[in-house]
Amino acid sequence: MYQSKSHADNATIFCRDENRVDWHSKALWNLREKRDRAAASVPEWEQLRQLGSEIKLHTLSHLGDYLCQFEQKCIENGIQVHWATDASEHNQIALDILSTHSVKKLVKSKSMLTEECHLNPFLEKHGIEVIDTDLGERIIQLNHQPPSHIVVPAIHMKKEEVGELFHQKLNTPKGESDPTRLTRAARKHLRDQFLSADAAMTGVNMAIADLGAVVVCTNEGNADMGVNLPKLQIHSMGIDKIVPDVDSAMVLLRMLARNAIGQPITTYSSFYRGSKVNGEMHIIIVDNGRTDIMQDKILAESLKCIRCGGCLNTCPVYRRSGGFSYNYTIPGPIGIAVGAQHDDSNTIPWACTLCGSCSYVCPTKVPLDKIIAHHRRLKAQQGKLPFGKKYYMPAVGKLMSSPTLLNCAMASARLALNVIPHRLIKPLSGAWGQYRELPVSPTSSFDTWYKQHRASNKGQNNVS
Amino acid sequence: MSHNTASKHAILAALGQSSINQLNQKPDLSSLKSTSILPSELINRFEKGLTSVTGELIYPDNGNSIDLLKDNVAKLIHQGMQVISLVDGIKGNQLMTTHPHELKHIDYAIMPARFAVAENGAIWVDSEQLNGLNAKTHRVLPFICENLVLVLNKDNIVATMHDAPAKMRLHVGDFGTFIAGPSKTADIEQALVVGAHGAFSLKVYLI
Amino acid sequence: MNMKIALFIPCLVNQMMPDVAIATLSLLEKLGHQVIFPQGQTCCGQPMTNSGCFNEARNTTLKLLNAFKGVECDAIVCPAASCLVAAKENFHEFDQSQEALDVINKLYELTEFLHDIAPISGFKNKFEHTISLQMSCHGLRMLSLATPSESMGPQFNKVEAVLQSIPGIKIVYPAPRDECCGFGGTFAVDEGAVSAKMGKDKAHAHAATHAQYVVGFDPSCLLHLDGMIRRQLLPIQTRHIAQIIDAAL
Repeated sequence: MYQSKSHADNATIFCRDENRVDWHSKALWNLREKRDRAAASVPEWEQLRQLGSEIKLHTLSHLGDYLCQFEQKCIENGIQVHWATDASEHNQIALDILSTHSVKKLVKSKSMLTEECHLNPFLEKHGIEVIDTDLGERIIQLNHQPPSHIVVPAIHMKKEEVGELFHQKLNTPKGESDPTRLTRAARKHLRDQFLSADAAMTGVNMAIADLGAVVVCTNEGNADMGVNLPKLQIHSMGIDKIVPDVDSAMVLLRMLARNAIGQPITTYSSFYRGSKVNGEMHIIIVDNGRTDIMQDKILAESLKCIRCGGCLNTCPVYRRSGGFSYNYTIPGPIGIAVGAQHDDSNTIPWACTLCGSCSYVCPTKVPLDKIIAHHRRLKAQQGKLPFGKKYYMPAVGKLMSSPTLLNCAMASARLALNVIPHRLIKPLSGAWGQYRELPVSPTSSFDTWYKQHRASNKGQNNVS
Repeated sequence: MSHNTASKHAILAALGQSSINQLNQKPDLSSLKSTSILPSELINRFEKGLTSVTGELIYPDNGNSIDLLKDNVAKLIHQGMQVISLVDGIKGNQLMTTHPHELKHIDYAIMPARFAVAENGAIWVDSEQLNGLNAKTHRVLPFICENLVLVLNKDNIVATMHDAPAKMRLHVGDFGTFIAGPSKTADIEQALVVGAHGAFSLKVYLI
Repeated sequence: MNMKIALFIPCLVNQMMPDVAIATLSLLEKLGHQVIFPQGQTCCGQPMTNSGCFNEARNTTLKLLNAFKGVECDAIVCPAASCLVAAKENFHEFDQSQEALDVINKLYELTEFLHDIAPISGFKNKFEHTISLQMSCHGLRMLSLATPSESMGPQFNKVEAVLQSIPGIKIVYPAPRDECCGFGGTFAVDEGAVSAKMGKDKAHAHAATHAQYVVGFDPSCLLHLDGMIRRQLLPIQTRHIAQIIDAAL
């Protein structure tokens, strides 16, 4: 069976083009800096984070009740509610609804859930044309790629590459790489798609339980343009998207765009509490592994996530390894948190230095670094350790627990570092020596120094 | 209507196995609501918020925004623009269409707004505004028009999003939206481009 | 206030950076504290627990804990933030006894100790150099030695507070201010390419400040940066905060 490459291998390939790594890292850090300014402009920012976390935790702990309330209210609003335990059921439901309406062309706005369910290829296989309408999503769809980021899906592409793609697919002039002119060309192309679509589908940013309404946020207006032209609208949501009421939604809405891209709010934050006149509105509520995650107290907190992408932007590893190195639809810290169990290379929990920046950036205080560390422990328990750890860790444990053994080993290591030319050791020192100079080695350990200088003459104040 | 009830019950049963502490209380959010801020201060803050999302506030010194809007609409029509208005007293040259798709030619849509939020420049429009002037308006209008003009009463500005729920109208089956500036994207190398799929510009006349 | 202090010298410092341990001992003594060095200290278990291998960490963690159990002292001070955090967590993981808790409650990172427990003052010697502070992740975000750049909460910086009264010292920061240096324990070898790129970027960011020294409270990060700085031939050197303080006392 084909096994995915390790994150480290993918990252090594990405890192070969250092200029590109720098460009990628800087583009995302730019978002982090914008986020910092936007967050700093809200005096109660840290209070909002705390409340955001409490709202989500409370909702998750009463999720069954809230889901039932949400469904009941939706029905009162004339909305049709569907339940899907997994991706394939979700896709089948979507296909059934579309088939009933003889839909040939579907316009879709950004939804990580439908990416997770691989809906597009499924519908295309059944003869339905699917057009992603978010500009970034459309770019990668034309380029036959998955998103490399959950908010800015084409962040890995340079404008010249988008220009060449549009030249081939949309007939823009050869060599055109001006973002404004490329965006205009996409607008024209997508306007035709909107006007000829038979149905629209969106993701859901929040589902308000006591209203039976879904909130959809975009900057481009593609969700609203799509939803409000054809008769049929479908919204897919994970069970984790529920919030109790509008007051709760406001807490999250204040943080979502600020934390994502440093904007005070998305251009359009639309509340759909029913279909248009003579229209039809469907909501598909999807589990697809979320209730499994909730069985584990630590992993469960990953469901507090509101998909702002802030943790990707701050992550020093994501910025230097790219969104395609994670073997999961969602990359970066949150991708590890919710995707580690799907990673057959068993390496993505190690694509992290546990620096903790993501947990501090997160607007709902998802303890990402703790969750990632927990995934490592789970992998170890399952006997799925990568990088040969299964074999060397017991030896390291043994060595480290014995001062005598460790002293002997380190004494030899120090001796080696001191007497053998470093160019001879480097090939043996693996990744360390490939990129860094080996440590300048002291002649003895502190232990030894202490025994020589202190153990016998306690209380002396001067250190030689 | 509810579908796939077997799956619903499977999900609810699985949630019964959740390990999350059931005692997590819903936090009290009442302290977040803004206290008394002067209306003039709110206007200043709103203008700042609106500008930050590339919208434009129009509030002439003489306070007579409606006359100014009338003049401007007349000029637009004279220039050959297709203008539709849902605002009482402002006449466009286009009527509401039968199908939403036919609104694709609209250059300017002029609509009333219920209220606005100072902190982020967002303006709330709901079904009641859309259905102003007794014409059943297609929900797509504020999104499909090339340029959007909103008319807002200066007394209807709140400080933050926490003050919004008290002002929002979202009845059974309704639709409502916060609009913060013209449509925009930065999906190509993060270069901000105004006018992605929706309006190229947003002007807010304060009355 | 004079205290009796037990030194916790993590294996990396003991073996590879004894000068940091010696400076820590020296500065604490200069401040009038009585310092002891309990024998039998082993690794805190971090390399194993950070890899998810808790079984393999148990032995060494408990041996280290035992080295401190029953030791008569007011505080246990460690000049390595990351090891200190791991020791606290792992002691608790493997031993929930009151005796273990007594040890955990006495554990302090050096900066934390000099700021919160026995505030330092009375620097005699000038240190007329610019230092670029290495705000290492675990000390910053888990021990709260300063407000991390992500946080909009109350702004404080214990590291700067401890160092700033040294006559002549000038403190600067790299840009970005507190991004991880990429060491991350076994991350440095598991994810060699990314770790190296992070280290290179961090080393260059420190050098770009034109400071003479990179100063930090976490020896492992300093060791990593030192390897990078020398590979990149950058005109800057690493020093542990204990070495700067000791020289100024």
